[in-house]
Amino acid sequence: MLNGLGSLRTISIIGLFGVLGFSSAFASEPPASEEPGSVSVRMYQLEGSLPVDDPNSSQWDSVPGSEFNLAPQVHWPPRIQEVTVKSVKAKGVHNGQELAILVEYDDPTEDAGDAAALEFMVGDKPAHFAHGQEMLQVEGGPVNIWFWKKESGQAVDMSAKGFKTLETQPRQDVQGKGVWQNGTWKVVFSRLLKTEDEQDVQIEPGEWKSVAFAIWDGAIVDGLVKEKGGQKAVSTWWYIRAEPSADNSIFGWVILGLALAAAFELVIVRKLRKGQSV
Amino acid sequence: MKGPIISGAVILAGVFIFLKFLLPLFTAPLPASLIYLYLALALSGIMIYGTMSAPSLEAMMGPVYRFLSGQGQSGMGHMARLAVLVMFPLLVGWQTYSSLAPSDLPPAENRTIHPAPPGEFVGLSNPYPKTPENIMMGKGLYAAYCSPCHGANFDGKGTAAPGFNPPPADFTDPGTIAQLQEAYLFWRIKKGGVGLPVEGMPWKSAMPRWEEELPEEFIWKIIMGEYDGAHQSPRTWEEEE
Ligand code: HEC
Repeated sequence: MLNGLGSLRTISIIGLFGVLGFSSAFASEPPASEEPGSVSVRMYQLEGSLPVDDPNSSQWDSVPGSEFNLAPQVHWPPRIQEVTVKSVKAKGVHNGQELAILVEYDDPTEDAGDAAALEFMVGDKPAHFAHGQEMLQVEGGPVNIWFWKKESGQAVDMSAKGFKTLETQPRQDVQGKGVWQNGTWKVVFSRLLKTEDEQDVQIEPGEWKSVAFAIWDGAIVDGLVKEKGGQKAVSTWWYIRAEPSADNSIFGWVILGLALAAAFELVIVRKLRKGQSV
Repeated sequence: MKGPIISGAVILAGVFIFLKFLLPLFTAPLPASLIYLYLALALSGIMIYGTMSAPSLEAMMGPVYRFLSGQGQSGMGHMARLAVLVMFPLLVGWQTYSSLAPSDLPPAENRTIHPAPPGEFVGLSNPYPKTPENIMMGKGLYAAYCSPCHGANFDGKGTAAPGFNPPPADFTDPGTIAQLQEAYLFWRIKKGGVGLPVEGMPWKSAMPRWEEELPEEFIWKIIMGEYDGAHQSPRTWEEEE
């Protein structure tokens, strides 16, 4: 028969706690899958050097991208009611030191006035997507803008905090390289994940930051540049992050959990067998 | 011998059915975690009752212990015991993984769509009479200034709308202006997205701050045109509790 009330009490109490802990763990709802509204740019980790100078590098083929719709800038004067570029595709990579973001979009003509920009929130205070314009009830922060122009073939590192405050930073940390082919622009922006410049966005792998896009079609229409300055295609904020390297310690904990559960079973079964064979 | 186990299982099933299916008929459904907690409490109650004396302990736990120890088992019983012994560590491993794995998703957005307006905008009423001329003027201004985002049909589907997150409000949706008073719209149109309090996430909103461009008269008339065009009417003071 059963061996002593005491050890049975112990076992049933242990079992009770097991069930309690187990059911509360079980109750942690599974994470929701990524919804369309939560699209983001993910900079995937690569080994070695990044394709910073080559928008056509095959390294980009291995990385998934996301697409973001653009709107004609009708938020603030000077407005524009129609723009050439309706969406951009963005891909990102990093190697723990440096990052590169590829922006790809359709533009039927290659023009001197073509340009593309990325905007980031800087620091902890939220910044309005329109150049960090003043908010009335919330204290906002500045933005960092990486502005690539076809004409110069370069990207400029800029800052703004409010309309009409956009300026080139004293310290330049960003590189840009664009290639136009068969009606498609591919522009690569690159930078170190972290810089010494407090006007810059600092990228920490695993941390979500906010990014927005702007594109100008510099085509000449009726003798005028079609899109320039505030007249551009824009997006509001989206999330971006450098993917953290896989945390293998989790698997250690999983194995420990497995082993403890198995050991617990072993002890119980042996105890029961002893009890019953006596 | 099997009696106490079966009645325990019946009690647990009853508690589950009550919490999961009957209670929501009268009130909001319980979150899964709470249901599990109550089930665990019910289970511990059953266990305590069942282990109060040696005979009741034997009646309740004996079959369980014999099942787990595996003695004298064969066929189905043997397989079931193996399955339980294998599944338990796997479930623990899976739970460990899912509770430790870092979330891979962007931060959740809990934007409050209709936050409280600043005090000075509470209780204002439209100073312009709802004449056909005023409504027509409001609709004309709406077409010029608002339709690129909110749509010529007041449905939020303007040509610029797809680029903005959050999207421009759909005024034909009963969840937008039909819920609001004219004074609230006056605030939102005047101060725009940047006028929202922190819970409205003003940094994301493309809604312009129209006080910079439009006189108050235009804003009040646009409000009339907006309600008329969207076939909605403003919420009035009498409806407030
Ligand atoms: C640049 C695009 C844009 C334009 C132009 C625009 N809006 Fe908006 N509007 C938005 C967006 C985006 C929202 C949703 C975010 C928010 O509530 O701030 C919004 C929200 C609103 C709301 C709040 C509705 C609610 O249910 O809370 C009102 C009212 C409104 N707009 C009125 C207008 C009027 C009137 C005009 C023209 C004078 C106008 N908007 C022009 C983008 C725009």
